[in-house]
Amino acid sequence: MEKIHFDNLQETLYNETLENGLEVYILPKRGFSKTFVTFTTKYGSIDRTFKPRDKDETVTVPDGIAHFLEHKMFEKEDGDVFQKFSVKGASANAYTSFTRTAYLFSATDHLYDNTQILLDFVQQPYFTEKTVEKEKGIIAQEITMYDDQPDWRLYFGTIENMFHNHPVKIDIAGTVETIQDITAEHLYECYDTFYHPSNMVLFIVGAVDPEQMMDFIKNDQTSKTFSEPTDIARSFPEEENTVAIKKRTLKMDVLKPKFNMGFKVKQNHIEGSEMLIQELASGLVLDLLFGRTSKFYTSCYNEGIIDESFSYEVTLENDFGFAMVGSDTDDPERLEMTIKDTLKLAKKEWPITDIELQRMKKKKIGQFMRSLNSTDFIANQFTHYAFNNMNLFDVIPTLEKLTVQNLKDAFETFADESGHTVFTITPAEEK
Amino acid sequence: MFEKIELQKGVSLYIRKSEQFKTINFSVKFKTELNQDSAASRTVLSNVLQDSNAQYRTETEFRNQLDELYGTVLYTDVGKRGASHIFTVNAECVNDEFLTQGAVLDEVIGLISAVIFEPNIVNGVFDEAIVNREKRSIKERIRSIYDDKSRYAQKRLLELLRPDGPASTSTYGTEKDVDAITARSLFETYTKMIQEDEIDIYIVGDIDVKTMTEKVKKLFHFESREVQDRTHTPEREVNVKHEENHVMEQQDMKQGKLHLGFSTPITFTHPDYVKMQMTNGIFGGFAHSKLFMNVREKESMAYYASSSYAAHYGLVFVTAGIDAELEEKAVNLIKQQLVAIQQGEITDLELEQTRALLTNGIKSAFDSARGQIEVFDQYKELDEHFSPEVLIKGWQSVTKADVQEMATEIVLEVVYLLSGRESN
Repeated sequence: MEKIHFDNLQETLYNETLENGLEVYILPKRGFSKTFVTFTTKYGSIDRTFKPRDKDETVTVPDGIAHFLEHKMFEKEDGDVFQKFSVKGASANAYTSFTRTAYLFSATDHLYDNTQILLDFVQQPYFTEKTVEKEKGIIAQEITMYDDQPDWRLYFGTIENMFHNHPVKIDIAGTVETIQDITAEHLYECYDTFYHPSNMVLFIVGAVDPEQMMDFIKNDQTSKTFSEPTDIARSFPEEENTVAIKKRTLKMDVLKPKFNMGFKVKQNHIEGSEMLIQELASGLVLDLLFGRTSKFYTSCYNEGIIDESFSYEVTLENDFGFAMVGSDTDDPERLEMTIKDTLKLAKKEWPITDIELQRMKKKKIGQFMRSLNSTDFIANQFTHYAFNNMNLFDVIPTLEKLTVQNLKDAFETFADESGHTVFTITPAEEK
Repeated sequence: MFEKIELQKGVSLYIRKSEQFKTINFSVKFKTELNQDSAASRTVLSNVLQDSNAQYRTETEFRNQLDELYGTVLYTDVGKRGASHIFTVNAECVNDEFLTQGAVLDEVIGLISAVIFEPNIVNGVFDEAIVNREKRSIKERIRSIYDDKSRYAQKRLLELLRPDGPASTSTYGTEKDVDAITARSLFETYTKMIQEDEIDIYIVGDIDVKTMTEKVKKLFHFESREVQDRTHTPEREVNVKHEENHVMEQQDMKQGKLHLGFSTPITFTHPDYVKMQMTNGIFGGFAHSKLFMNVREKESMAYYASSSYAAHYGLVFVTAGIDAELEEKAVNLIKQQLVAIQQGEITDLELEQTRALLTNGIKSAFDSARGQIEVFDQYKELDEHFSPEVLIKGWQSVTKADVQEMATEIVLEVVYLLSGRESN
């Protein structure tokens, strides 16, 4: 077991790769009564075209299957897994993103019993045609719920605008139509391909004894039989750097128009420290151009072009990336123009100085320290970093080393106008 | 839990030394009676006070300074609990121990004091431009509830259930109340809040209690004040209606948002409060509950179907996202789950699971400084020496017969369905 000590944070991280390929990380937190455990596979909604384990032909599976599989993992021959967690006082959950599926629980008691339940239910699939059919009604309601959420439609509409072919443009849950095609056989095929321990990370943070926990996990994993680890052959279509659609509007039952602008990040398939630099630097660029202390924010907020719903974000993964800036606004045209002008000006006359960068670094370091109080945050972020060969605890040293040039480079990855798109939701007319 | 120090009559400091966190958390809570127009005024005030102050005259200057202090968070918010409106100034900064250079703590305390005692005043009142801008923001915030269909449906349910009570009074007031605010009236709201509100100051972190107390005493000069007991006992409708009120409304949307409102005489201060928490848990509070297992898992009718217990108002809510055409079936199914509990269909397993998850919930809440503050602030109204163990013990003693009895104290009053225009 490897032991990495982070002096300035007073944290120690324990790590080991087991024989079956499973990566285990344990981060004990002093004074906490809760332990948060996540078991995550590097398999999300974008992994729809791949070579199934032990087969030579590439297949494309129905949209929404990773998420469907996540739902179905909770149902076993002897009933619902939530029931078992409840008895042991654990609050369990799961989520599917573009790139991963995570199963998790948090508990203040019965840590080993709950860890056992987690390992067992994720490593023992049970799908039948009957249980698969039953789930379609539940997921259809979940999809319908999202369909009625203007903010989700705005977010996804922007992504659809940005991408020509990449499956990130397909809604994570699929559609009510596509999920009808899902069968138990599909689920087994996806499970066998993507749920091998060598494609997964187990992360434990909170009230935990690292040595004892590592032994417990090792014992469990050696008592189970797994096939040999193999590389997973995923296929992704070619994707240009330009956006697919420049502008689109959707009518919904809202009172105020909702505006979102997307910036597609140029594909460069980076990972590790290079990716961490780009991710942090991109975030800082957005903070400085659009954040609370920026000229943009001050003038737009004063003039009422943006309101409290204003937000921005960067999403960066190995195979795709994008940034977004959006707000509810009565004047979408003017907001669009102002954002574009801000970018144009930044291109022409780089506005970010070292003084501002130093101030933002301090802010980010404090923010990171704050987030280390939250086991939920650590558990969720950690795996995102681990799957992209980064380390969550490199954030502060990387921030400290960032230069204005790093920010300029990051800006260049999404500054080109051909990669920009606009999505607006406008109030439907009275009927 | 927290050490209490009375700074003045009606002004208390609750302080807790804990090595668990890398930051220090502050909350200064101003509490008064909840009513519609003062709620609006205090909400606008909350935005105005976090914008700027006499030390930092613009938001940019103020935010830049907070960034310099290692991303110190300083914000205000408003909330309601029972019949109280609560205005809070929150701050969180990195513990100096974790900084490679410099120190921030003293400056942060100074800034909290500036936000409270040195507002950005022009000619004796707040800056008109800032007030107008924040009035607009709060109006947008109030309006935006319409766009979030679940929140909107819940708001409508409360208006139907308790049209005049604090349960339906908006934390932010109404658009009309916001319109009536002027720079002068807002300053009066501010003065009244500082002089008359009940004040609770919370500090949690790895601090020296004595030194910190001295600092707070030196910087926070609040006058003594009379505080009234606002522990709210909702007036139960005199004629308990045996007929449910059925209301359907429509918007352009796909899913049906089904919200049921039940009333109960068991409130937060009632001796049976813990029993009712257990009952709600078994009914629809968790993923092992009757609502989840039957409405979602057995009938596949919903993605979410759950109940919640608003103890301060003596209300229980059930919400489910369904196909609007199946409303009747869903309502019957929900009623059946309550009837089942009333008839004693409660297993030992359900009791055990519910106890375990309630216990996990309260213990988990104490793993965050803000959780400690919020939970304690609520329960100290019952017991100044509150600790989670008190509740945990309470849940352990709840029996099947208790739950059965509690379920008979839950009465359905309103069924509300918000659905798309094409259905029905």
